[in-house]
Amino acid sequence: MPSSLEALIYTLVPTSQTQETLRRELVSRCQGILSSYGPSNLERDLSQPVESIERRLLSKDPGGVDTLKFTNLVSRLSKQSVISKQTEIVSFLSAMSRTSSSSRPPTSLSRPTTSQSKSRQPSIRTPTLPVPPPLPSAAGKSKAELLKEWRRSKGQTPISEVQLLRDAIYLLQGISGTYIKFSQEENDDRIVFLDDPDHTVSASTKVLIHRLAELGYLYRRVDSFVREREAVNTVGMIEQSLCHYLQSQLNDYYRLIAVLETQLNAATTEDSNESGLSLKRLDVWVNEWRLRMRMMSVCVEGAKEAHGGALVNLIHSYTENGDPFVRTFTHQLLEGVSRPFFTTLHKWLFSGELYDPFSEFFVSVDSSIGPSHHSHPSSLPGGIGDHSDVGFGSGVLGDADDFGSKDAGIKLWESKYQFKETMLPLFVGGASGKKIFSTGRSLNFIRYSCHDSEWVSTREKMNEFHGSLQYSDISGLERSIDSAYRLASDRLFEVFIAKFKLLDHLSALRNYLLLGYGDFADQLMETLGPSLSKSANTLYRHNLTATLESAIRSSNAQRDSPDVLRRLDARMLEYSHGEIGWDVFTLEYKVDAPIDTVLDNLALEGYLKLFRHLWQMKRIEKTLDRGWMRVTSGAKTFIRAPDLEPEWHKIRIQMAEMVHFIRQLEAYCRLEVIECSWAVLIDFLNKREGDLDSIIEAHRTYMERLLKKIFLWNPRTGKEELVLNMVKDAFATILMYREATDNFYNFTLSEAARHDQLADIERGVYTGKVPESTQNASDLTARLHEYGTLFKDKIQMMVQHLQVHPDLDCRFLAIRLSFSDYYKKPDRR
Amino acid sequence: MSSKVSEKNASAQQTLDILYEMSQLLGTQLNKETLATCVGLIESGVNPDALAAVIQELRLEGAAQANTHAMGQPH
Repeated sequence: MPSSLEALIYTLVPTSQTQETLRRELVSRCQGILSSYGPSNLERDLSQPVESIERRLLSKDPGGVDTLKFTNLVSRLSKQSVISKQTEIVSFLSAMSRTSSSSRPPTSLSRPTTSQSKSRQPSIRTPTLPVPPPLPSAAGKSKAELLKEWRRSKGQTPISEVQLLRDAIYLLQGISGTYIKFSQEENDDRIVFLDDPDHTVSASTKVLIHRLAELGYLYRRVDSFVREREAVNTVGMIEQSLCHYLQSQLNDYYRLIAVLETQLNAATTEDSNESGLSLKRLDVWVNEWRLRMRMMSVCVEGAKEAHGGALVNLIHSYTENGDPFVRTFTHQLLEGVSRPFFTTLHKWLFSGELYDPFSEFFVSVDSSIGPSHHSHPSSLPGGIGDHSDVGFGSGVLGDADDFGSKDAGIKLWESKYQFKETMLPLFVGGASGKKIFSTGRSLNFIRYSCHDSEWVSTREKMNEFHGSLQYSDISGLERSIDSAYRLASDRLFEVFIAKFKLLDHLSALRNYLLLGYGDFADQLMETLGPSLSKSANTLYRHNLTATLESAIRSSNAQRDSPDVLRRLDARMLEYSHGEIGWDVFTLEYKVDAPIDTVLDNLALEGYLKLFRHLWQMKRIEKTLDRGWMRVTSGAKTFIRAPDLEPEWHKIRIQMAEMVHFIRQLEAYCRLEVIECSWAVLIDFLNKREGDLDSIIEAHRTYMERLLKKIFLWNPRTGKEELVLNMVKDAFATILMYREATDNFYNFTLSEAARHDQLADIERGVYTGKVPESTQNASDLTARLHEYGTLFKDKIQMMVQHLQVHPDLDCRFLAIRLSFSDYYKKPDRR
Repeated sequence: MSSKVSEKNASAQQTLDILYEMSQLLGTQLNKETLATCVGLIESGVNPDALAAVIQELRLEGAAQANTHAMGQPH
C-alpha cells in the first residue's frame, strides 16, 4: 500500500521525485488523512452512489445523454467480476467528481441563485455540451429576469425561497410563519401575506403557498378535533378509535414534516439546488397528504353529527369511491374505526352480552325491563371494568304466580332489546344484522332466562380460537354470523323443547283446554254437570279443584307427568247475578318463565276462549245424548201413550237433526281445525329453524288459525261474529228444545200413569184416584214445534252463510251439515 | 494456465476501461494510471472518501509545487 501511495504522490506531485523531504512529508500527510477517515466499513448498496451521481448529471445536463451513458457504464461494470468493491470505487469516483467540480469556475456547474444573479446567462450548461446560442430576447435576458430587474428598481425585494420554505413548513403544521400568517380572527382560516415593499411575494408563489396552506388548515381542524375528543370522557368507543386512527395518521404527518425540515436545514447549509427542496417540490411531496387530510377532515366533519354505527356507515359510504387512493384510505380507516364495533359484535354474537357503554351498537337495551346483570369480569377481554351488561333477568321465575307480571316473559323478550336500523353498519347488511340481533338475543335469553350460561361460556371460549371478526374479512364475518345464528337457534330449540318441555306444555294445552282427552272431558262433564247447572254463587273453587282431580284420576290423564298436572287448575270467571255455573266455569293452565315467552297472556286467553266454546259444545252434545237415550229407550219401551206416539216420532226426527248438527260441528273443530293446525306447528318445531321469535310466531299462527276457524270468523267487518252468534243461538235453541222435551216426557209419563189407572179401573182394580190431566198436550207440542222450526231456520241460515264463507274449511262445514241438500234455500223448496 | 491469466488480464483491462470512461464522464481529471492505482488502493481496503481527499490534497500540493517551481525557475 505505501508503494502505491508513493506512486500516486509521484504522479500528482512530480517534484517530490527529486525532493526526499517533500516526499516523506506528503506520505505522512496522506497517511494521516487516510487514517483519520478510518477503513471503509460502510456496507453500501451500489445503487446509492449511482443514484446521487445520476441526479447530479441530470441537473447538469437535462437532456439526459450523460446520464444514459453513465447508467450504461454502470450496468457494464456490475457484470465485471474482477473488482470486488464496485460500490466503493463508484463512490470514490463520485467523490472525485464532486471535489474536482467544486474547484471549477461556478458558471459551468452550479445554477446561479436568484438572489445573487451574477450571471444573466442561461445557466444550464455542461462541460461536455457546446454552449447553446443565447436566447433571442433583448439583451439576452428572459422576461423573468426583466421583471426581477424592474422590481428591484422599484425597491421591492422578493423573499428568498429558503425563507418562504421555512414559513411553508410552519404553515403545514398550522403555525403562522414570519412572513405568512394565519388570520388571527375566529372562524377565518385565510392566510395573510406580510406585504411590504421589502418582502414581496410573486403571484404565482402566492398560489403555491395557498395550496400548501390548505394542508395546514386541514391539519388544524383534524388536530383540534382529536384534542377536543381527548378532553371529553363521554366520547363513544367508535369515535375514540377514529381519534386514535387520526392521531396515528397525524404522527405519520409529523414524521413527514420532520423529514422536510431536515431537508430544509440541509438546503440552507449547503447549496439549495443540491438538496432539492423547493416550494414546488414541497407541493408535490405533500400532494398525497393533501388528499389524505381532506378525507380525514371530511370524517371529522361527519363525526360531529353521526354517532356510533352511523359514523361507521358514513365512512363506509366512501369505500364506493372510484379513486383507488380514497378507497384504500377508507379501508384502512374503517379497519381501525370498526374495531370497537367488532369487539362489541363479538361479545354479542358469541356470548349474548351487550357491552355498549356509549350506545353505539345497533342493538339498544331497555334497562328498565328486567333486573340488571353484572357480567362475569372474566368474560370481558381485558376486564373493561364494571360496565354492566344487562341480561334478560332471572327474577322473573319467582314472579310466575303473580298475575300482575304474568306477561313479563314476552315483554322481556320483545322489548328488552331493540334493533336500531340507523346504527347498523352497511357492510354488515340488513339480513345479517337481523340475524346478529336475533342470535345475541337468543344467547342472552338462554343465559339469563333459561340459566344455561355454562353452555354459552364454553361456546364463547371455543369461538375465541376461531379468530376475531374484522372489517377486512366480510365473507368470514358472514360465515361466523351464520354459524353462530344456527348454533344459537339450535340451542334455543333444544333448551325450549328438552329442558323446558315446550312440546309437553303445548300438547297438555291441546289435551285439556281443547278437550283432546275425550275420556277426561266426559268424566269432568259428568261429575261437574249437576253442580254447574246451579247458580254461579253456589260454586266453590275447592269443590271445582276436587272434581278436577277426581276427573284426572279416573281418566287416562293420570298418566301425564305431574309437572303438567300441577299446572292445570279449575276456576271461575268473574260472575254477575243470575249466571249459572256453565257460564263461569273454566279450566286454566299455568305457565312460568321462560315458557311464558311463547305462551304469553294473549295466547292463554285464546286458549280460554276456545275452551269455553268447546266446553259448551261438549255440554250440548252430552245433553243431547242423554235426551236421545230417553227418547229412544224410555219413551219407546215403557211409556204407553198411543195418542202421543206421533208426537214422539217428530221429536226423534228433530233430535236426530240436532245430534247430526253437533256431531258435524265437533268433528269439524277436532279433525279439520285443531289436528291440522297442530300438525303444522309440530312440523315447524321439528325442523328446528329460526329463533325464539319464530317459535312465538308459529305458535301465534297456530292460535290464530284455531280461533278463526273454530269461531267461524268472517273477515268482513261488521260480520265477524255473525256465524258464531248463529251457532250460539242454535245451542240455546237446542237447550230449550231439550227442556221442552223433558217437560213433554214428564207429561207423557203422567199421561201413561193415567192410562194405566184407567185401564185398572176398567179391570175393576182400584189403584187410587185418577188424576186429571194437569196440562194441555197441545201447549207442550206447540212449544216443541216452535223450537224445532226455530232450530231448523237457524241452521238453514247458518248453512247459507257458511256456503259463501271466505274460508274454505268453513265452506266444507256447510257441505258437511247439508250433505244431502237438506238445508236448501226455502224458495227452491 | 496461461490462457486463464491472459483472460483475467483482458477482463481487468476491460474493467479499467469502463472505469476510465466513467471518470471521464464525471470529470474527475484522473488519468488511466492514477485511476488504476486508486482502484488498487480501494481494493486493498482504503476508504474511498479518504482517498478522494488525499488526491485532492496532493493535487493542491502539486499545483503549489509547480507554482513555486515556475517562480523559482527564472532565478
